[in-house]
Amino acid sequence: MIDIYQINPGLWMILAGLICALVPKGDAFAMVRKAFIIGAPIFAGVMITQIYTSQEVLAGQINIGGLELTTLRIDNLSMVWGYLFCLIAVINGIYGFHEKCRITDSSALIYAGAAIAGVLSGDLLTLFLFWELTAISSVFLIWKGGQRAYAAGVRYLALHVLSGVLLLAGAIFYAQSNGGDYSFNDIGIDSLGGWLILIAIGIKCGFPFLHMWMQDAYPKASITGTVILSAFTTKMAIYALARGYVGVDILIYIGAIMTCFPVFFALIENDLRRVLAFSLNNQLGFMVCGIGIGTELALNGVVGQVFVHVIFKSLLFMSIGAVMYRVGTAKASELGGLFRSMPITAVFCLIGAGSIAAFPLLAAFVTKAMIISAVIYEASYDPSLYVIAAMLLFASAGVMEHSGIKVPYFTFFSHDSGRRVKEAPWNMLVAMGLAALLCIVLAFPWGGYQMLYSLMPYEANYQPYTVDHVVFQLQLLFAAISAFCVLKKFKLYPAEKRGEILDFDWTYRKFGLGIMQWIGAMWTRLSVQTTRLRERAIEGAGRRLFHIFSPAGAMSESAPSGLAAVLTAAMLIIVLIFVYFVR
Amino acid sequence: MTDINEPEALSRKELEERQNAHPFAVPFLWLGNQKVIDNFIWLPVLGMIAMIALGIVFPQAKPAPWDAIPGSWALIGFVAYSFIVLCAKPLTALLARDESYYGEGGLADPEYSTDPDITGEAHHD
Amino acid sequence: MDILSLFPAWLLEQGPAFVIVLPLLMGAIVAIMPSRTLAWWAALIVTLLCTVTAFGLLLQVYSNGASLYTMGGWDPPHGISLVVDALSAPVLLLIAAMAVVTMVYAMPATIAEVEPKKRAPFYAAFLLCFAGLMGMVITGDAFNVFVFLEVSSISTYALVAMGAARDRRALAAAYNYLIMGSIGATFFVIGLGFLFMETGTLNMADMSRILSDLDGGSRVAKVGYGFIVVGLGLKLAMFPLHTWLPGAYAYSPSMVTVFLASTATKAALYLLLRFTFTVFDPSFNYDIVVIKYVLVGVGVVGMIFASLQAIFQTDARRTLAYSSVAQVGYMLLGIGIATAAGIAAGYLHLLNHAIIKGGLFLAMGAFWYRFGITRVTDFNGLSKTMPWTMGAFMISGLSLIGVPFTAGFVSKVNLTIAAADKGWWWAVAVIVVTSVLAIIYIGRILLAAYFGSPPEIDGETVKRNEAPLMMLIPMWILVFLSIGIGSNLFGLGDNFVMASERAANLLVGIGG
Repeated sequence: MIDIYQINPGLWMILAGLICALVPKGDAFAMVRKAFIIGAPIFAGVMITQIYTSQEVLAGQINIGGLELTTLRIDNLSMVWGYLFCLIAVINGIYGFHEKCRITDSSALIYAGAAIAGVLSGDLLTLFLFWELTAISSVFLIWKGGQRAYAAGVRYLALHVLSGVLLLAGAIFYAQSNGGDYSFNDIGIDSLGGWLILIAIGIKCGFPFLHMWMQDAYPKASITGTVILSAFTTKMAIYALARGYVGVDILIYIGAIMTCFPVFFALIENDLRRVLAFSLNNQLGFMVCGIGIGTELALNGVVGQVFVHVIFKSLLFMSIGAVMYRVGTAKASELGGLFRSMPITAVFCLIGAGSIAAFPLLAAFVTKAMIISAVIYEASYDPSLYVIAAMLLFASAGVMEHSGIKVPYFTFFSHDSGRRVKEAPWNMLVAMGLAALLCIVLAFPWGGYQMLYSLMPYEANYQPYTVDHVVFQLQLLFAAISAFCVLKKFKLYPAEKRGEILDFDWTYRKFGLGIMQWIGAMWTRLSVQTTRLRERAIEGAGRRLFHIFSPAGAMSESAPSGLAAVLTAAMLIIVLIFVYFVR
Repeated sequence: MTDINEPEALSRKELEERQNAHPFAVPFLWLGNQKVIDNFIWLPVLGMIAMIALGIVFPQAKPAPWDAIPGSWALIGFVAYSFIVLCAKPLTALLARDESYYGEGGLADPEYSTDPDITGEAHHD
Repeated sequence: MDILSLFPAWLLEQGPAFVIVLPLLMGAIVAIMPSRTLAWWAALIVTLLCTVTAFGLLLQVYSNGASLYTMGGWDPPHGISLVVDALSAPVLLLIAAMAVVTMVYAMPATIAEVEPKKRAPFYAAFLLCFAGLMGMVITGDAFNVFVFLEVSSISTYALVAMGAARDRRALAAAYNYLIMGSIGATFFVIGLGFLFMETGTLNMADMSRILSDLDGGSRVAKVGYGFIVVGLGLKLAMFPLHTWLPGAYAYSPSMVTVFLASTATKAALYLLLRFTFTVFDPSFNYDIVVIKYVLVGVGVVGMIFASLQAIFQTDARRTLAYSSVAQVGYMLLGIGIATAAGIAAGYLHLLNHAIIKGGLFLAMGAFWYRFGITRVTDFNGLSKTMPWTMGAFMISGLSLIGVPFTAGFVSKVNLTIAAADKGWWWAVAVIVVTSVLAIIYIGRILLAAYFGSPPEIDGETVKRNEAPLMMLIPMWILVFLSIGIGSNLFGLGDNFVMASERAANLLVGIGG
């Protein structure tokens, strides 16, 4: 009898996903799938509760080919991600309740299950397995976005499979240097394996220059697909960083750059889902930076930030998704004035925007303050970190710009686009309402954020609601809004224009492709030339032989035979050279 | 936008607005009023001034170097925000291309998209 | 052990001769049989009997160690001996089992692909080919290797040419194969001639002893070695000498392709192992140099080039054929690593690849059987029209890529670890890169099958039309084997790994 407490809870969801894939099409059966899609994460969450104790739980050891794998580890770090993923999978399930699509249902379940199983895995090889599974299962969500998402999906898959391969290579190197131990604990960057794993994680969580898949693929996925995608992949990578690379200095700088550069791209981008993808990248920067700082306060901040971030980011993606569902587009230039027809969605979107911008009483206020405070505290030992703190503040103003103002403003206010549509479907409203409620509850000063604190890995005694915190945060936010109004008044705020914004992916989508096409063209020319030369030579030397010996009489068949015979002789010569002369 | 100088047109337009809007949105239609929009600026500006004043009374417990200046965070917020927005123009000139630049436009899935480009409906404004 | 006691003693005793003589004799009888069905039954029973015997021999090797069978009671080196040891027994079983799988499948497939008049000769040629391959593997006499090589090759040319019933290009392919195969066999026999000059014997064990007494021997032995390596290289489709393979695989009847892809190159590879590690010895300077530089060099280059070629093929069978060339590269790499772990990984990949590629070509044949499909572009929507066949193709394809819980994963991981142990990190990188290439060429087909929609004929979507059960059963047996090895169901994975380790230990001389 298999002990079900030995089984990684994520596997239950993967199983549910596989069952969903087998459930026949048709509306009657869609309800069965929906039951799975909401029930399975709840069940997985219950299983985590059952298994979790206050100490680290290692279970599910299996032995494959002499490798001892620990397929399940639940401790106070992985538990947070496990619960979070279960929670958000339920919310996503409600959000996608109206969509009767078998592929979306099953791949969403498998994807979420793989993410849960990944964060709950105790060794690098199990992690690798689910790391790849998240990539493979999620690409269907992108391809569901229609034909124009196809190429982006392929690019997404390629980069993520590459990430998995790097992870595997890194794991092997790391285990080699570590006496064959594949367990996943602190890794650090002292070894080549450590670097490879860091790059693998870097791809998944969007380090600068490795980030472009996110903004490329997410906006092209289906509506529910984008919401689901935004929750898991990158946060799984953040977990891997928090597990293996705490206090690695280079992450501070990478994180700071990650917070700043997407701000500029988000500003000029027209597609609001892509704006949110940039904003996601920017938020990940805060987390990466916090992990780089690595103090207890910073790590608590990161864990809290991950938790609330998933919720408010989903809320934003869900509200823009709802708009897109009704209006048909998420391009800022096509939207505006929608608060008249979608007021409830507008309120939820504003709550999400306020949360991401860290307004007091809304979700990110507590956690972002913890991260920035952690940087400033550390800066008293190392003054150079003040630069980082300043960059984070700059990025906070940037968050206010693209997510806090731009997204809700251009969608629901701005000039009236004249579109009058229906309010979002009830299930979307329920999902958004749940997320919005959590945004408020988890930052509530009296008993709210303390719940968040109880999830944090270290004892948290940081006081977020002091007068100076609130006042200075409000200074920043009010100043940003004032600046927006002033710029708007003097017509300095740029109008939204349709267009494709070049990013680093230009290097392979245009430049690399161009080079490949050029090589291809040159190769064709070259091969035409060499074929002609070869044919002429063979024709000259072997025409007679050919006519005698070829029963098929086909000109094309002689060349391979003859060539192969020559090759055989050449091979013999090479072997003989080696036999005689190489010592 | 609404021509507020013509009372009759205003009432008719307003009625139409009210009929078309979601019932929950009816009490908030004033948000679309041009006067409200024009004067909205006072809310953040006054808020900012109040917060700067409060910030002088309650200074940062753990000040960074820049906190020596009164209203430092407001300054950072204002300058950073303006800088970011003002970067838009040169960046757009540098990075923006036509939407069909990568040639991957294709047709969106009709199940999900009613993009006027695809359905052939007229653009609004 | 208890299974072994179920075999009659005489069968085990005479088994080595039995597995060659029976198909040879029956080949002659089947050729003149009037009824096609009778011929099929005869061939099926022969292959089944041989499989049972080979299984018994394998168990016997594992419990009692290697055995030597002397033909007619003449002791080696003068008489002809048959050797069953940890290296040859698994390959014997593989060939026999694949022959059974092919035979079951051949029932519907021959009806579709071979002219009625030629069906009984077809089975006869098949049995001869089978006997030749078994002989190549089991014999302990170097000249006999050549004889059996020719027996199997010549019947293979005939088998390939029978594909002309459905595609005239089979004739050209068979001709091409004939030329190349003859060159290979000639090289091999020239090499043997040199060796005979040097050692004065044709018995492999004797040759090995004399060569090591001579400390590798003179230039004559070296030249002989060169000829043998190149001759066998041609037979096993070592990279630049593989040009016969794609045509032969693509145009021969499907069951012939299945059998060829899973056994013919494998038997040649087995011979390469036999000659480079037991007749010659890696302690000879020239032997290890060739293993380390030439075999690894062409193996690695072949892995990359053939994989790239596979990507650009329009005919799915040619894609799989080029993939076979690439997979041979993996095995050569494993041999070239030349440690016990490396050889074991190469040997394991040999076994696994036979199962995987067998499964893929079985499915390909079924696609042709139902819809006449060979081009990748025609695969659109096959997951809906032939879900079970496409399912088998997909799982085998994933196994070829090396997805966890499949056979391909086990051997690729073992190979990677062996390369890493040796410190050949570049080889690890090549394995990774070619795996990605495999994702592309298999994924291309899977994408079309799973995301394309079935074609329409006269405005009606093509209906579901599954392959016959006689095709599905062998296909799924191989698929289950593949998954079984990958997930270690019923200890299958462990047994395969153990078999490869024993074979490798025999070659590098750690125990028997």
